[in-house]
Amino acid sequence: MSSRRQAAARLGVLALVTALTLAAADYPDVLPGAEVHLPADAGAHPLFRTEWWYVTGWLATGSGEPLGFQVTFFRTRPDGDAANPSAFAARQVLIAHAAVSDPKRQRLWHDQRILRAGFGLAAAATARTDVHLKDWSLAEQGEVFTTEVRAEGFGFALTLRPSVPPLRNGAGGYSQKGPAAASASLYYSLPQLAVTGTLERGGHAEKVTGSAWLDHEWSSAYLDAAAVGWDWVGLNLEGGAALMAFRIRDAEGTPRWAGGTLRAADGAVRILWPAELRFTPGRRWRSPRTQVEYPVEWQLQAGDLMLELKPLMDDQESDSRLTTGAVYWEGAVEARSAGQRLGRGYLELTGYGERLRLR
Amino acid sequence: MTAPLLALERVARRFRPDRPPVLEDLSFALAAGEYVAIMGESGVGKSTLLNVIAGLDRPDGGSIRLDGEELTALDDDALTLLRRRAMGFVFQAFHVLPYLTVARNVGLPLALNGCPSGEAEARVAAMLAEVGLEGSGPRLPRELSGGELQRVAIARALVHRPRLLLADEPTGNLDPRTAAQVLALLRAQVKGHGGGGLLITHSRAAAATADRVYEFDGRGLRALADR
Amino acid sequence: MTSTGAVRVALTVFAAQLRDRPLRLAVAVGAIALGVALAAGVYLVNESALIEFGRATRQLTGAADLVIRGGRAGFDEALFARLAARPEVEVASPVVELDVSLAAGGTLTVLGVDPLVAGALQPALYGELVGRFVPLLAPQAIALSARAAESLGVSAGDRLAVQLGARQRTLAVIAVLPESAYGRRLGVMDVGSAQWTLGALGRLQRIDLRLRAGVDVARFRASLQLPAGVDALTPQVSEARGANLTRAYRVNLDMLALVALLTGAFLVFATQALAVMRRRQQLALLRALGATRAELRLAVLIEGAAVGALGGLLGAALGVAIAQFTLAALGGDLGAGFFDGERIAVAADLSTLAAFVALGIAVSVAGAWNPARDAARIAPAQALKAGDAEAAPSVRRRLPLAVGAALGGIALALGPPLRGLPLFGYASIALLLFAAVRLVPLFAAAVLARLVARRPVPALALAQLNGTVAQSAVSLAAIVVSFSLMVAMAIMVHSFRDSFDRWLGEVLPADLHFRVTPPSDTAFVSPAQALALEQLDGVARVELWRVTQLSLAPEQPPVALIARPLAASSVPLPLIARATAPNPGLPLVFASEAMRDLYAYRPGQVVELPIAGRPQRFFVAGIWRDYARSGGALAIERSVFEALVHEARYTEGSVWLAPRADGATLRERIRALLAGGETLQVIAAGELKGRALAAFDRAFAITYALEAIAVAIGLLGVGLAFAMQALARRAEFGMLRHLGLRRREVLAMLAGEGAILGALGALYGLLVGVVLSLVLVFVVNRQSFHWSLDYVLPAGPLALVAVALIAAAALTAGLTGRVVTSGSAVRAVREDW
Repeated sequence: MSSRRQAAARLGVLALVTALTLAAADYPDVLPGAEVHLPADAGAHPLFRTEWWYVTGWLATGSGEPLGFQVTFFRTRPDGDAANPSAFAARQVLIAHAAVSDPKRQRLWHDQRILRAGFGLAAAATARTDVHLKDWSLAEQGEVFTTEVRAEGFGFALTLRPSVPPLRNGAGGYSQKGPAAASASLYYSLPQLAVTGTLERGGHAEKVTGSAWLDHEWSSAYLDAAAVGWDWVGLNLEGGAALMAFRIRDAEGTPRWAGGTLRAADGAVRILWPAELRFTPGRRWRSPRTQVEYPVEWQLQAGDLMLELKPLMDDQESDSRLTTGAVYWEGAVEARSAGQRLGRGYLELTGYGERLRLR
Repeated sequence: MTAPLLALERVARRFRPDRPPVLEDLSFALAAGEYVAIMGESGVGKSTLLNVIAGLDRPDGGSIRLDGEELTALDDDALTLLRRRAMGFVFQAFHVLPYLTVARNVGLPLALNGCPSGEAEARVAAMLAEVGLEGSGPRLPRELSGGELQRVAIARALVHRPRLLLADEPTGNLDPRTAAQVLALLRAQVKGHGGGGLLITHSRAAAATADRVYEFDGRGLRALADR
Repeated sequence: MTSTGAVRVALTVFAAQLRDRPLRLAVAVGAIALGVALAAGVYLVNESALIEFGRATRQLTGAADLVIRGGRAGFDEALFARLAARPEVEVASPVVELDVSLAAGGTLTVLGVDPLVAGALQPALYGELVGRFVPLLAPQAIALSARAAESLGVSAGDRLAVQLGARQRTLAVIAVLPESAYGRRLGVMDVGSAQWTLGALGRLQRIDLRLRAGVDVARFRASLQLPAGVDALTPQVSEARGANLTRAYRVNLDMLALVALLTGAFLVFATQALAVMRRRQQLALLRALGATRAELRLAVLIEGAAVGALGGLLGAALGVAIAQFTLAALGGDLGAGFFDGERIAVAADLSTLAAFVALGIAVSVAGAWNPARDAARIAPAQALKAGDAEAAPSVRRRLPLAVGAALGGIALALGPPLRGLPLFGYASIALLLFAAVRLVPLFAAAVLARLVARRPVPALALAQLNGTVAQSAVSLAAIVVSFSLMVAMAIMVHSFRDSFDRWLGEVLPADLHFRVTPPSDTAFVSPAQALALEQLDGVARVELWRVTQLSLAPEQPPVALIARPLAASSVPLPLIARATAPNPGLPLVFASEAMRDLYAYRPGQVVELPIAGRPQRFFVAGIWRDYARSGGALAIERSVFEALVHEARYTEGSVWLAPRADGATLRERIRALLAGGETLQVIAAGELKGRALAAFDRAFAITYALEAIAVAIGLLGVGLAFAMQALARRAEFGMLRHLGLRRREVLAMLAGEGAILGALGALYGLLVGVVLSLVLVFVVNRQSFHWSLDYVLPAGPLALVAVALIAAAALTAGLTGRVVTSGSAVRAVREDW
């Protein structure tokens, strides 16, 4: 195992060397003043290094069994040779993750896919939200979004209906991720999506309903060199409000940056600055598979909102070393305050094993 | 007195320096036509004496003459050729070659001495007749009895008219009746061919067929009786 | 005497004898050990290579349900789009597979894969690359297997120059895969960059497919409608294809090892038979003391089993050592060049080794079988009598079985190959050999009875042999078995080499030849270079070839397709058959003999060849002899090929020099012109021929070695037989010394016996060997390698070997006699016999 790690580390260093020595592809920066324009920006931005559409949410079966689900489509533009005319040249690589958190079975159903764009097998459209890897897809269909996943042992086909307008994070969608202004992404969210559809587990399909959250974010320089990972949360709050909050950590675990957006039920948007956010880790859980330890319970102060985050279940770790190369925790959480449920959403904890690298 | 056929003078033989000599200062003579027996207990050196005479073993000192020829001066090849020409052997265990016919066994010395085959055949036939095996030439040794085998051996020992016949316990493997016949034959043959005969045995009955009998006790030869 | 008690007494007597004559035991054990060691060694080498081969194939195939495979030229990548989109397909992994010429010489197999999907099928192989595939996407990036990195002497961060046509390109080694990923030499690139960097745009050689759970692989396979020349193979077929490549070669080696083992068995037979003969009296005494026939027989068999167990254990251990040494020194193919010089570990499990020990015991017991029977047959009263000897061989008993075996052997030689192997041929050789051995005593008796010697010493020698025909026959049989096999092999190899030599002359008519060496998918000569070549001063004529490969049957190795100028009037091929039927106006193909055997091509037939993804009709105009490719070769007119593939590039060529042109200078100029670095070889015809013959001799070196060992075992048997007879005859020698035979005359007699036996053995062995060689040349070689040979009898060398054998036999006999007669003649006559 350790020799594998070493080899992996060597490969990582080499990646860096190769990126520096070979003429690196020209990636556009995200600089202050950049803005998200919808609907034009709903499609893919193939020139940027990284982009994702991230759907997370809570579902309930007919019998009221609570479940978490997430489906993510990543797009990455590798340092390839732009002049390579081969149909197989990896100009764009698409990755998809899907997971269902099943507390009754204490099981995390999850699967992943990765394909280079091309041959009609995988593509991300530029004009609108429409991305697929073979029969996994997320697409805008008129007023709604549909997503379909046929995975190993589970699958779902869901319709996501927006109930509130899109929420541009940061200044008009410019979301700073570190002390340097160039370390930033363009980022908007669609909270409070009403979910209907079918969920299949172990060959058994049933109707589900719920609420979800769609993030769409793209960047060429997401994390700066000192950052190792982030903690992120997106919560659909009771009454139609929504909170997105994140912080970026360095190797010592000290926050390097933080940010967030809070939209009240009446639509008033408040941008949260680093000083207004405090993430306090609580109970920790150690993954029996990777031995990585994650703080799965949190105290979150966002402006004057004080929240306790409790996971739907502890084991919601995603091992995506075969695709994105990362091991992280991505799970359904409930937000409480003084014992009262304030909302539900998803918590993402990255960089707790090794440094998160975005392709 | 004519020169003896075989004369040993002061012959000595010692196998190991830390042991007493087997032969020491031994002198002995045998005239032509004489048939002499030497008796002695097992292990006193009878066979060593025989081997020294036959040239199969060399004495440490002294002189051995056969027909006046000094054997100790000859090399191994010359001794071998002398043995081939002038000596005949009869062994206790017959030593007849199993894969040769009786005639070919008997004819071996003639073949070795380069006797023309026609003459050899005649001599073998005559010799076989002399030992009482007339017509047995084409037979194989396995068809013969012990007494017959020793007759074949005697015929082989004498067919080339050797000057000296050396017999080492020739009746050791035979029953008394057969032994007596073989001994009589031996004596008759030695006497008939004009050479000398030396019989080594521990059997008194066998020794009694000789002209003279010596007792060999490891120190020297002692005459027992003359016939 | 109880039954077990009797056996115990018998064994005690034998054990005492063994202690008394440890040499006899040592020789018997050594013979079995040597035989088992050879058999085990060759088997382990083959098996280890095969296991490694299979493992490598499985590593490459991984979890794929089907492998779509084209020939070397591959197929259009559109097939990938079609297959990957099929709903039954879960994973479709495109693969570019090229043997890439390295600028420094040699080739490297490079797989261009999509690590994103290949990782799902071959996690062990690509695991390290999958999660971190980005570096591999960099242009010219290549990852190397540990073995490749080691053999090329590069590590991560280094550069690697490759030859593409006349150009060189530099690849960047971005990573070295762990040793566990893949044991052989391999380079891995991204499929896209491989297509572009290595000049293979638009084409793939392979697609690995994994189907969704529940999809019927056979039905799916049948529905694929693949282009001509593209097959869908299951992993089992892929593995069998690799093994098929070397199968005949391996079986031949296995057979040679078995010959050594059988010779060892024969030696056990010889020692046991002689021991029984020598111990007739003791055995008779045991019988007189109350041992039954069955008990005596059992005792001899147990003795044989003990010798076998001891020899088997030693042999198995030695075999592992041989295998280890061979694999380290020569590689898994014993130097024949099938494998890519990879490191292979000996795969010796306990059960295999136990099987070889058991084989040693079985062979030794088999060798003791007849002697045991003879021991039981001894009549005690007769045997106890002095001067007893064995009876003459019985013609009535021996002849029918021998004739039957010989007839069976002839019949089997006419049989067809079985599962592609000349198994009937081998069985035929075994039967013929059995018949020959069976007839040895009759032959010996007949010849010896007719020999006459005048002088006493030779006469004695002859009389001895005549009187002991049964014992002599055992020695003789040992000579015959090993010598006849050696003669047969020598004739076969000589015929092969002679035919090969003449064939080389026919296929290399020009003064200079150039070719891409080793064959590669990336190095070639362009038409522009060819034009410049033709215009060189001193060049009279240039002929250019394009050699590529076709896959005609999924389970068979690929067939070589040689596109070259072929004027119908004088075809420059060593033809052995021509079509008589009229050509219906199709382009011509000339097929090698292997095509006739493996694919049933006949002159005058119309065949379809998959070229450029479509079946193309050709008329089989003739069959030619090809010693270069046992998997089959096809020659077609180059212009026909180029019209089909729309591409002109050459991989080989011949150059005829103008009169008075200087070959050496021109060679340098051609080399400079073709600028192929180390990958393009320009070589004079004579030198090429020399190298080919040297390679031939190298490939047969192991054959020679095994042969030599078989003969050594045979001579060991002869020596042993003489030693034992000489020991038994000590008293006889003593008596002869008394009668006035000089010692050197005794030795001369013994040497004479040896020489007579050697001469008989050489004569008879030559006769038998010639018969066996007919089976080897016309059946075994033909069915193993699918090519015919001209039968050539190397009279000179055979005569020389025969003389050497006679001398060796005489010397062996003389030497053993020396040892035996060194004791006192006096003591010898005292021993009773």
